[in-house]
Order: sequence, then structure tokens, then C-alpha cells
Amino acid sequence: MSQFFDGLAEILEISPADVTAELDLTQQAWDSLAVVSAIALIDECFGITVDGAALAKCATVQQVQDLVDAKLGK
Amino acid sequence: MLSKISEVSSFFPKNRLTNEDLAALFEDWSADKIFKKTGIRERAIAGPEETAGDLAASAGEKLFAEHSIEPQSVDFLIFCTQSPDYFLPTTACLIHRRLGLRASSGAIDVNQGCSGFVYSLSLAKGLIASGSAKRVLILTADTYSKYIHPRDKSVRTLFGDAGAAVLVDAVSADSASRVGSFVFGTDGAGACNLIVPTGGARTARSAASGVEVHDESGNIRSGDNLYMNGSEIMSFTLGTVPSAIRELEAQTGYSLQACDYVVMHQANAFMLEALRKKLSIPPEKFPMRLEFCGNTVSSTIPLVLEGLMREHAGSGKLAVLVGFGVGYSWAACHVWL
Repeated sequence: MSQFFDGLAEILEISPADVTAELDLTQQAWDSLAVVSAIALIDECFGITVDGAALAKCATVQQVQDLVDAKLGK
Repeated sequence: MLSKISEVSSFFPKNRLTNEDLAALFEDWSADKIFKKTGIRERAIAGPEETAGDLAASAGEKLFAEHSIEPQSVDFLIFCTQSPDYFLPTTACLIHRRLGLRASSGAIDVNQGCSGFVYSLSLAKGLIASGSAKRVLILTADTYSKYIHPRDKSVRTLFGDAGAAVLVDAVSADSASRVGSFVFGTDGAGACNLIVPTGGARTARSAASGVEVHDESGNIRSGDNLYMNGSEIMSFTLGTVPSAIRELEAQTGYSLQACDYVVMHQANAFMLEALRKKLSIPPEKFPMRLEFCGNTVSSTIPLVLEGLMREHAGSGKLAVLVGFGVGYSWAACHVWL
């Protein structure tokens, strides 16, 4: 999990300490390039590909996590 | 007959588009951020009167001059582009004339993008293997900049214009340098994710198609411009490229680890880094050439090969070439340098 949060911090250009499940992505640089980078990060961390349009709509890190979990069948 | 890559040359238009130029246009992105995200500092951009045919012809002229090649020795010209000079005639016929090739030599265009060089190389190999040609000149050139809306940072930060020339020659079976096996793939379901929607026969350009639209990321484009769905292209790439490489490994018995170099289509740094990590390729086996030219579509693999050939021509070092993108279309092959 920390690899995923660290990766998100790098994509959003914020401190890893600031990445929490509640982090509001709408207040971050969650743009198309960030979403593309996150697709690669999720592939690296979890070995799955999530839908880009669904990922772009995520408003919090928790929603990203939920998308990953749904794809993993959790 | 077997075939080998003998020589590679490249040509860039003079105009440059720097990250500083782009940062002035796109206020939320600094020049440093653009470099960090894309791995690109500058792109060469064709002038208003400069076409892909011009870039290709200049690359061909450079190849003849740099490597003392006689134009009349070329048996077949393959020009790969997605920005031809005309709907018709075939741009390769015009380049054939400019380069002074023999009247008794063939010339065709191949319409393919990021995978196009690997496809063209397979055709050159086939022409030589069938005895139809002994020397094939592959030219690649694209001017995607002419399709891009100036306010669309999703593509303007990535693509540059360039031309490249690659000479493929027949060689005997004992040659250390040779072109090996190929694998191919196609999925037209991805056509809508990297496309210039209008201007061909399917949808004519019109006042309506030229209407500019703002997307949710603040980019502006019309139906007449290049559109790229970055996340779909990333998903496609992460799924397809590793499978193509596994297929080539299974077909040839050469593992990726046994290869000296992996030359990927130079899409952008974040995609290349994701692929490199996923395939566990060490950086020293993963040459890149993006920083001062950007993603030049069909020319990216020849541009990397130009550097490798300078150091390793005739060495028999094994490179895997992988082209992937617009179409969707992909191909991979082995080349012993």
C-alpha cells in the first residue's frame, strides 16, 4: 500500500505524508496526465488495468482504492 | 537472401518548440514540469510549407551523403507516413524523383504510425527474401504538428516532426548483422483513441467540424485536430507491449534478458518508464532519444537505431524493436546490428 501512496504523492507532487484515503483529489493536480500516470502506477502496484474515465472521476484516494478493489474482486 | 540494416540517417526541421514556449501558453505547467513528465525539452516542428515528403527526402539525401550511397543502387523505396503530401499521387513517387532513384525501382507509401517502421522493415525483409530487391530504402516522416491544435497540451507537449532514412541490404546467411523474426498485432477497436476525425472520406472537413471545443482538462481542439485519449493509450500499451514481447520470445527462443538492447517506440518518458519497469529491463539496455525531438511517430525507432548503429554496426548485438500505438497497431522484431 505504501508503494501506491508514495507513487500517488509523486504524481500529485505532494508529500507522501499528505496522501490519505480522504485526500480530496479535486483540490489536487488530478489532471489527464496524472490519471495516465496513475494507470501505470496501479498496473505496477496491483497488476491490473483500471478504466481511465472512471479513474478521472474519482474525487478521493478512497474512491481510487475502491476502483482498484472492485477490479481485484475484493 | 537474409537482410540487414546497413545505414541510418535522420533529418529535423529547423523550427524548435521548447518547454519555455509551452509554459508561456499553458499557465499551470512550468517548463521543468513538462520535462519531468514527458522527458522532452524541445521538439522540431515543420515549417508551414514543409511537408513529411520534404523531411523524408532530406533524410534520404543525408543518408546518401553521409554514407556514400549511390541513389541508383536502390531497388525499392518504402515511405511510411500518416501525413502524406497529397491524397494522390503516392508521396513515395515524388520522393523517388527528388532522390534520383532508378526508373526501374519500386516506390510505395505505407500508412502506419508508431508501429510503422517495424512494419516497413518487415516489408523490406520480404522484398529481399523473395528476391524482388537487394537494396531497400525505408523513409519515415510525419508532421503531426500540422494536425495539433496549438492549445491542446495533451499532444502538443509530446509530438515533434522528423524524418529518418534506413537502408536495408541483402546479406548472405553467415552475416552477423541481420533482420530476424517479426510478430504483428492489430485492434481497430482502438481507432477512436488516437485519431484525426475529419479530412478523409469518412467525414469531410466542414464549418461544423472546425468548431473548437474545450475539454475537461482545459485543452482546446476541433474535429479537424489530432485527438488522443491518453489513459486508453496507456492501458493498451501496458497490456499489449509485454504480450508482443512474450510472443516474440516464444517464437524465437531468445529471452528478453538475452537481448543487448530493447528499442521501444519513443512515445514519452512516463510510458517508457512504466514499460521498462514492467518488463524489468535495466536502463543501460533501454536506449532513449526523446529529449530534443519529442515523439516523432514512425521515426522514433530509426532515431534510436541511428545512435546504436554508430556504436555497434557490424557487431551482431541483438536489439528488440517494438512499435505500438495509433490503429491500434503493433509489431516487434529482432535485429542483429
